[in-house]
Amino acid sequence: MASGHTVKAFDDELDELRATIAEMGGLAEAAIRESMDALVARDDAAAAAIVERDARIDALETEVERMAVQIIALRAPMADDLRDVIAALKIAGVVERIGDYAKNIAKRVPSLEDSRIRPISLLPEMARIAGEMVHNVLDAFAARDADKALAVIDRDAAVDDFYNSIFRALLTHMMENPHNITPATQLLFVARNLERIGDHATNVAEMVYFARTGIHLAERVRGADAARIAPGDLGA
Amino acid sequence: MNRIVLRRKMFDWAAIAFAGFATLFGLFWLAWILWTTVSQGLAALSPAILTEMTPPPGHDGGLANAFYGSAAMVLLGTLIGAPVGIAAGTYLAEHGRHTRLAASVRFINDILLSAPSIVIGLFVYELVVRTSGHFSGYAGALALAIILIPIVTRTSDEALRLVPNQMREAAFALGLPRWKVTARIIYKAAASGIMTGVLLALARISGETAPLLFTALNNQFWSADPSGPMANVPVVIFQYAMSPYDNWRALAWAGALVLTAFVLALNLLVRLAARKGRK
Amino acid sequence: MNDIATMIGAEPAAGAADEAHPAKIAIRGLDFHYGRHRALCDVTLSIPAGSVTAIIGPSGCGKSTLLRTINRIYELYPDQRATGEILIDGENVLDRGYSLSELRQRVGMVFQKPTPFASSIRANVGFALGHYERLSRSETDDRIEDALRQAALWDEVKDKLGASALSLSGGQQQRLCIARTIAVRPEIVLLDEPTSALDPISTAKIEELIHELRQRFTIVIVTHNMQQAARVSQRTAFFHLGSLVEYGDTTDIFTNPKAGRTKDYITGRYG
Repeated sequence: MASGHTVKAFDDELDELRATIAEMGGLAEAAIRESMDALVARDDAAAAAIVERDARIDALETEVERMAVQIIALRAPMADDLRDVIAALKIAGVVERIGDYAKNIAKRVPSLEDSRIRPISLLPEMARIAGEMVHNVLDAFAARDADKALAVIDRDAAVDDFYNSIFRALLTHMMENPHNITPATQLLFVARNLERIGDHATNVAEMVYFARTGIHLAERVRGADAARIAPGDLGA
Repeated sequence: MNRIVLRRKMFDWAAIAFAGFATLFGLFWLAWILWTTVSQGLAALSPAILTEMTPPPGHDGGLANAFYGSAAMVLLGTLIGAPVGIAAGTYLAEHGRHTRLAASVRFINDILLSAPSIVIGLFVYELVVRTSGHFSGYAGALALAIILIPIVTRTSDEALRLVPNQMREAAFALGLPRWKVTARIIYKAAASGIMTGVLLALARISGETAPLLFTALNNQFWSADPSGPMANVPVVIFQYAMSPYDNWRALAWAGALVLTAFVLALNLLVRLAARKGRK
Repeated sequence: MNDIATMIGAEPAAGAADEAHPAKIAIRGLDFHYGRHRALCDVTLSIPAGSVTAIIGPSGCGKSTLLRTINRIYELYPDQRATGEILIDGENVLDRGYSLSELRQRVGMVFQKPTPFASSIRANVGFALGHYERLSRSETDDRIEDALRQAALWDEVKDKLGASALSLSGGQQQRLCIARTIAVRPEIVLLDEPTSALDPISTAKIEELIHELRQRFTIVIVTHNMQQAARVSQRTAFFHLGSLVEYGDTTDIFTNPKAGRTKDYITGRYG
């Protein structure tokens, strides 16, 4: 890590910015974990609490925006500092969206009555990986570690694979019994949210990489990792 | 804390009081001299001063020939000495500013500045008066010029050095040759400083007595020809003041008053010009 | 100093111009000494034509010294000397035989403190014109007007060309000095911290002026204000302790510098 700025207050402001991002990340990570727990335990009260706590993440994003604008206006950051501030600004927006996805998962808890659907066992594992990705990428941001960021990008494939499996399984369930369609669709949305969380964690990783090195990673194709439905899955 | 402050204040007042008294002391003598000159001189002042020649003892007269002689020799001396001084100052400031030669020249110049004027008079006496066989206004003017040169050299050197180096660099950066830079830009910028130096030197030599004593001597009659002895105010004052004749002594005071007034006027002129230039 | 470049994997030709603009000034192996003290070490730098190149660096890094070698103004001082080559359009101007007068017509310089001469505005701008060219009275007037227009000063002084140059404000005086410099139609204009003595509004006017002038001249500007270098230049060179550390496009230098020393300086971690 390079030595601090001659003007110490500048260092303090950058540290505060990072700390706020870290706080947001922690809250988002917790939201992912807790929403999955609430889903498995069918705990409506816990789910409602998660929805309420999302407001805190939104507030922190506003705070990050305010701090970033202030630093840009008053400190005229250059080079690394500038990339860090811009990255922080964008990452805050993405983490806020991750929080929203976790909130959406929690929102679906009350509408799930049938606990007998099997794919629900795959979801906690998927959530665990997505949560880990968020945790690791924010660690990478804090440590300004480009390699760690790249590692997170690689893990997204696992999340996508989970999504494909869950999708196929749920499809099968829906075809078996029309009564399953409603709960299965809900779970499908949950899986979709987790998959999107994985994608967003990858976006954050790209921003971390850019902040550290100044190099933009090649545009990743968004739709390529969406569910690939084999022609034989539908119908007999 | 209070005691320290109090002691400091007392020391402060004591120092101010001392400085004030010293100033008053100096001013006192100055005022007395001026008062004496004015009162004695005014008594003898009359239009005759300008119209009549220096009289023989006991008779009435004026100082016309002395004024003319002084004016002529001072002007001639300035005309000879000022260009030399300015040129020397230019060399010191522009061409050889940090060289060993320039440092030596400055040193010698400072010695000449404070050389006893009678020595300079003696030098010119030996060089010109003895070889030509008679006293002359030219010799007097030469002696005055030699006194003027170190003063003008010094003031020109300093006036030119006051011109900021960046102005020189800007002129050179335009590609102008050195002589053009000096003549058209540096001189213009230092003009008021150089002029001031010349005028002050002029004021100084107008009162010099010793060198004129044995170069121009004095002349009781109208002397417009510089190749002979010329009347001049300082020597007239010298002669008349020590004489037993009342009218001569009165004329001496009158001459002293006019000389003082002239120097004062010149200084005022320089100040006014400087203030206008600064606007 | 190429060790730094190789260590961080930067392009080896630290002082090369880019392909789009040919090199107007090619500095090769330049050393500079103030008496015994070496102020510039083996500087190699190519400055492209028709653009603004900024030279930045901390105090004492040699940036002003470098500028002053290009028009050999240092030769006014006996104990300063430069060795190496400075090629303008291929000719070495450090060569003893190269005419100083011609060099200073091709290379103009504006200094930190505005230095108007003690004469009229018209005389100031036209001062050096007569030295290089035989011009009629009306031609001279045209050139003076042209220079004042290019320096964005014409409208403010057209009614008082005979007034003393010293009656202008600081910002106007500096623009007058710029007009005076470009009146002789140089190819290169050197600016040595031209706005450090001016207020922000005058500074902005002169920066705008620089932006317009670059179409006609090659401009090299030394500044200790990094934001100014970022605003006005296309290429930036960072100097430290007499050596060229990094040289590249201004955008790259300020968003993603390669050398650690450059980064420390521009982010305010220096010293």
